[in-house]
Amino acid sequence: MASTACFVIVSKNDIPIYEAEVGSAPKKEDLAYHHQFILHAALDVVQDLAWTTNAMFLRSVDRFNDLVVSVYVTAVLLISLTASVTHTRFMLLHDSRSEDGIKSFFQEVHELYIKIFLNPLYLPGSRIASSHFDTKVRALARKYL
Amino acid sequence: MDPLRSYLGRLLLEDVTPVVMVLTTPLAEAACRRSGLSFVDMLSPFALFKKIDVPVRTASDQPYRLQMFKIRMVYASGVRKQDDEAADERLKLVVSEANEKALQDLLSDPPQLEDVLNKPEAELCPSWIKRFNRELMRTLSFSEHETFDHPVACLLVVSSKDKEPISKFADLFNTNQLPSLLNEGVMDPQVLKHYLVLHDQQDGPQEIAANILVEMRSTLGLNDCKLLCINSSTQADGSDADNSWLPYKAHGLQNHEGACFLNMEDMNQIKDFMQDLASNHIIPYMEQKIRVLNQQVATTRKGFRNQIKNLWWRKRDDVPEAANGLMYTFTSIESQIRVLSDYAFMLRDYELALSNYRLLSTDYKLDKAWKRFAGVQEMSGLCYFMLDQSRKDAEYCMENAFTTYLRIGSSGQRNAARCGLWWAEMLKTRGQHREASAVYFRISNEEPSLHSAVLLEQAACCYLLSSPRMLRKYGFHLILAGNSYYLSDQKQHAVRAYRNAMFVYKQNPWSYINNHVHFNVGRWYGVLGIFDVAIKHLLEVIACSHQSLTTQSMFLNDFFHFVQSTGKKFDVYKLQLPVFNMSSLRVVYEDHRTYASNSDVDVNESIWHELEEEMIPSSSVVRTNWLDTQPKNSPFRNNKACVCVVGEAVKLNVELKNPLQISVNVSGISLICQLSTDASSAETAALTTAAEKDMANTKPSISTFESDENNFTVSKLDIVLGGGETKRIQLEVTPKVVGILKLVGIRWTLSDSVVGYQYFEVPTQKKNKKGKRGARHSLNNNLIVIKGLPKLTGNIDCLPTKAFTGDLQILTLNLSNQSEHAVKHVKMKISHPRFLIPADIPDLDFEFPQCLKKHVQSDNNAVVSKGIKGNFKGLLFAFPQDTKIQGGATFSWPIWFHAPIPGNFSLYLSLYYEMESTSDIPYRTLRMHYNVEVLPSLDVSFAISMCSSRMQEYIVRMDIMNKTPSESFAPHQLSCVDSKWAVSALPSSNSSSFVDTIHANQAVSCFFKIKDLRTSSCIEAADKSCGSDMVLSSGGSSTDVYDVSLSPITDFHHQERYQQGKLAKGPHSLLDFILISKAAAVNSSKSEQLLSHHTCHCSPLSQNLVWWLMEGPRTITHDFSKSCCEANIQLAIHNSSEDNISVRVVTSDRMPDKNQNVPSHESSSGQGGWYDVSLENDIKAISSPKGTHLPKESSDSTTPFVWCSLSSAQVDLKPDSCAKIPLKVCIFAPGTYNFSNYELHWKVHPSEGGQVDENERSGGGQGHPFYVTVLQGA
Repeated sequence: MASTACFVIVSKNDIPIYEAEVGSAPKKEDLAYHHQFILHAALDVVQDLAWTTNAMFLRSVDRFNDLVVSVYVTAVLLISLTASVTHTRFMLLHDSRSEDGIKSFFQEVHELYIKIFLNPLYLPGSRIASSHFDTKVRALARKYL
Repeated sequence: MDPLRSYLGRLLLEDVTPVVMVLTTPLAEAACRRSGLSFVDMLSPFALFKKIDVPVRTASDQPYRLQMFKIRMVYASGVRKQDDEAADERLKLVVSEANEKALQDLLSDPPQLEDVLNKPEAELCPSWIKRFNRELMRTLSFSEHETFDHPVACLLVVSSKDKEPISKFADLFNTNQLPSLLNEGVMDPQVLKHYLVLHDQQDGPQEIAANILVEMRSTLGLNDCKLLCINSSTQADGSDADNSWLPYKAHGLQNHEGACFLNMEDMNQIKDFMQDLASNHIIPYMEQKIRVLNQQVATTRKGFRNQIKNLWWRKRDDVPEAANGLMYTFTSIESQIRVLSDYAFMLRDYELALSNYRLLSTDYKLDKAWKRFAGVQEMSGLCYFMLDQSRKDAEYCMENAFTTYLRIGSSGQRNAARCGLWWAEMLKTRGQHREASAVYFRISNEEPSLHSAVLLEQAACCYLLSSPRMLRKYGFHLILAGNSYYLSDQKQHAVRAYRNAMFVYKQNPWSYINNHVHFNVGRWYGVLGIFDVAIKHLLEVIACSHQSLTTQSMFLNDFFHFVQSTGKKFDVYKLQLPVFNMSSLRVVYEDHRTYASNSDVDVNESIWHELEEEMIPSSSVVRTNWLDTQPKNSPFRNNKACVCVVGEAVKLNVELKNPLQISVNVSGISLICQLSTDASSAETAALTTAAEKDMANTKPSISTFESDENNFTVSKLDIVLGGGETKRIQLEVTPKVVGILKLVGIRWTLSDSVVGYQYFEVPTQKKNKKGKRGARHSLNNNLIVIKGLPKLTGNIDCLPTKAFTGDLQILTLNLSNQSEHAVKHVKMKISHPRFLIPADIPDLDFEFPQCLKKHVQSDNNAVVSKGIKGNFKGLLFAFPQDTKIQGGATFSWPIWFHAPIPGNFSLYLSLYYEMESTSDIPYRTLRMHYNVEVLPSLDVSFAISMCSSRMQEYIVRMDIMNKTPSESFAPHQLSCVDSKWAVSALPSSNSSSFVDTIHANQAVSCFFKIKDLRTSSCIEAADKSCGSDMVLSSGGSSTDVYDVSLSPITDFHHQERYQQGKLAKGPHSLLDFILISKAAAVNSSKSEQLLSHHTCHCSPLSQNLVWWLMEGPRTITHDFSKSCCEANIQLAIHNSSEDNISVRVVTSDRMPDKNQNVPSHESSSGQGGWYDVSLENDIKAISSPKGTHLPKESSDSTTPFVWCSLSSAQVDLKPDSCAKIPLKVCIFAPGTYNFSNYELHWKVHPSEGGQVDENERSGGGQGHPFYVTVLQGA
């Protein structure tokens, strides 16, 4: 079954630092912006929701027609003293699927992300260009989603 | 908030009001037409009563007062369900009317975040949207399942001109003409009737009408008949009428044009009539009906018994009733209850209405009449709202109604929309904007695209109003709305929606979003014909690299299409296609430094600087003292500025990249320059960086920088950039007059339609302070142009880029002077003299390589070359003093090339020359740079070992390995550099055994003998065949020999010796070899290729200070019967060191224990002249050239000979001297003896200054084997 899954890591100032279409549905040009729109709009909801709960996994926070946005929020990172505190948000746009799988997916990606983050050469908030990260995320997507 | 004051409250008060059905005769209608109005239009402004102040008593005994009241006046023909198409047309009209207004907005800048936030709430949504909402709700008027649109009263109007007015009234209410809903029994035809005679004052006196009225009153009833006079005004313009209409204009009287004959009096009359109708007839009628119905409901439905009965009755009749299409006629109890509650709702007795709605909803639910159920739910939700009671219940009811409507399918869609609109308004009133927008979004899914667009826009507005503001949702929904508008062909609105959303996505890193927004806005603007804005937006997207090929070409096509539509060339500042990499920008100008080719410019300045250090005069020389360090009129005053010369091109290198996957055609790439000739402006421009900053800030329009043909010329470049390609281009500007040249920017034309230009950003002062080292790396866009100078251009002809190691060639250095003036004092410096050596003489008499061959008078040249060598030591080569290169002349000089070692090398040449005439710059340099890749060819190594049998002779093993994959070489000649050495083939091997060619990957070893010619013992010194050169090739004669003492071989050798000497470890170097070989000619057309390999500082494997050799007869014949044999031998000892050495010779009668040449198992047996011949020994004897194994007589334990004379002797040897010690051996039996059992010990006595290594102070050695065969004589 062709499924949609669009995974995005959003850093401070709502800058997407990693984007991947991990669904099995054939990639369509016009859908790419569609997904971005939905995910971008869902940030509004995440913004409110993130402070109301202790959980990192916020479950599905928003939906657009039959597409659901699930979000996982990392711990607050003080990127610099002047910048406002921001979570890094993992956002997955998907059609309805098991929540457990998504949760595990997010947790594993979080581990990968932390590894990237620990890299002294990685500037926090910059785009993740590591191909290793990319392949790992895609493998995780195949495993859990 | 008081629900009545809220928008929804007012909406309900105005829309859910009693309906008065109007029936008119054509003549009555014609009378109204005279004023440009229909009858309903004329009356409707007065149907709204702001302060009617009427007491009302409904079911309860407690009366209350109504303040605002409204009656809806509707023609009988309008009392029917609207057909969908007409309704949609109406709605579309509302939207497209707003279109025209939107157009002006589109030309202004899109709103910013602050603008939107500061807007009052009411203005966020355009006002026409509210009208749209109302129209959308009105499309549902007169539906079957609701009764609030059922006419409460009927107004019958007859003109005074009508014949028999009384019968006309009867005709009007003829059932045939009544609306179908009334006839079908959905509505109650028994309504309140009101009769009106309309009198046109212009048609005659009022009396006729009064008569009719009297007649009517007598027949139709006293109270229900009225007379209304209109058109009292005599003048047609009705100027006063206009004013009097003003207060009512707002209430839906837009289209009244032309003459109006109504005057104030008429209007007051109408007003009074309406007031009377409402307060004295309609409201009392409704009160009455409510009371009656309530009573009826109470008796049939209220109470426990009735409920039970009702339930039982419903169950029984369930199935057959449902099958019937019209379940509920107006007589049915359900309809009655509905009428009751709707009337109560209209008279604002919400409690009563609510209780009845609830009662009804259970009934409908049981009947599964879902549409009616939903309608009732909807109304009860509104009742809850108006009562401002439980919000939860209200919402529950609305949601229930909404979902129920949706569930029943297409017939309920519009109802769902209306319900949703009410619901959303309700939520908005309570500040639940987020929920409201969710509701809007839900409705939008059910409606056609145009409606959904309007609804989505409202949803977006709600997100903006919600707290906290949800801007991203706002943007997203606006985009969705825009899309829907576009789909329903409302481009203006589409653009408006996108524009409003734009600030949300401004500087947004979500690339796809950005592209989508800009592309669509741009495209739609283009469709609307606003090309400049369209192009502005499309410019944002044309350089998108992440999109697919099709998308990119789509973007680009649209862009070009619009650009062409404008019909003119567009100037675009900072056009993103192609991308100019400004950090790669480099200005190349030639002041006193000139370059042979473009690649030379990239060489680091410090390399040149180092190279030219000795050659150019240092700058401080010019100054006599520090006071007048800088001449007044020197243009070099400002260090920041650079200098260029009139007529010489200033080049600018820049990288440009095509981010797209499509190839783009870029033409006319040129520089934008400014050349100011007058001195004052030049000075200020050169001095003040502030001016530069101003220039950078206020971008001058491109037109001011059109190429000024008189002052300078710029090159134009056309290229085609393939997809994703990066190209480095060079732009040129050639100044023609003296002044200050300012490089301002670049301009280019994209696909012949768009002109892009970009200015260079002048690095700010701050950046400079931080210290960008070297002015040439930071962009210097101010250049001082000085007057013309001679300039040399030069190159080395066919310098190979690839060469084999050892390759020796002669090349030509060509210099040409293209100016008019001559240059002098030409000097040259070469970074790698190992590779390039200029020839000593300008012309060569012989063809290469013949010129290298030995001539008869070669001695003279050798001397000359020696002299030159000293000169060249400093790597600086001065051409002869009288060398002058005249203007327009060319000059050539031979230059030798040799590739000594494999690897990649950069050769730098710098030529220095001075001007003949005086000028601003006294000298210039020409810099050349070549890259050479030297491939490995022959790998030559030498192993030298001492010859133990001869004094001062060495055996040389030469190993040659051909390392090339395919080439083969022929060794030609081996030369020892020093003439004191003679090289010759080993006696055993003749030259024919030597390989002629060494093929690829072949390894060859050959052996030679070298000897020191200085030793007196050498007899063959005079022999010609045994010189320092040896021809290796077969059939080679001595005339083929190349003279290694000639330039350039000797020069290169000198360099090699110097270079290799750095690597040599030991201090003892014996001699240098040069192997000259030829490449095996593959094709004869190519000139002969010569390779020379220099191996310097060869030294023997082991070097002893002391040489010794036993000399004496080898064979002795002696008659042992007489006596023992005495053999006289002598030991020659030679001191080859530079110090005095004392040598002691010790003989022993025992065989040496540690003879290294004897295998260890034999050493135990120790002594004896005879040895076993074993197989093992044989092999060893073959393997070792110094094998001394002889058969051994195992039984013999003592030496069969005895040293006779001294057992120890000491000699002192002076440096480089020889001594001979006589020795005598006594032999007792015939046999072959090895007189090697002696030892030498020496001690070095260092001379005064000489330093000798501690290890070499003293030493010793075993005797060399010396075999003597003694035979039994007769």
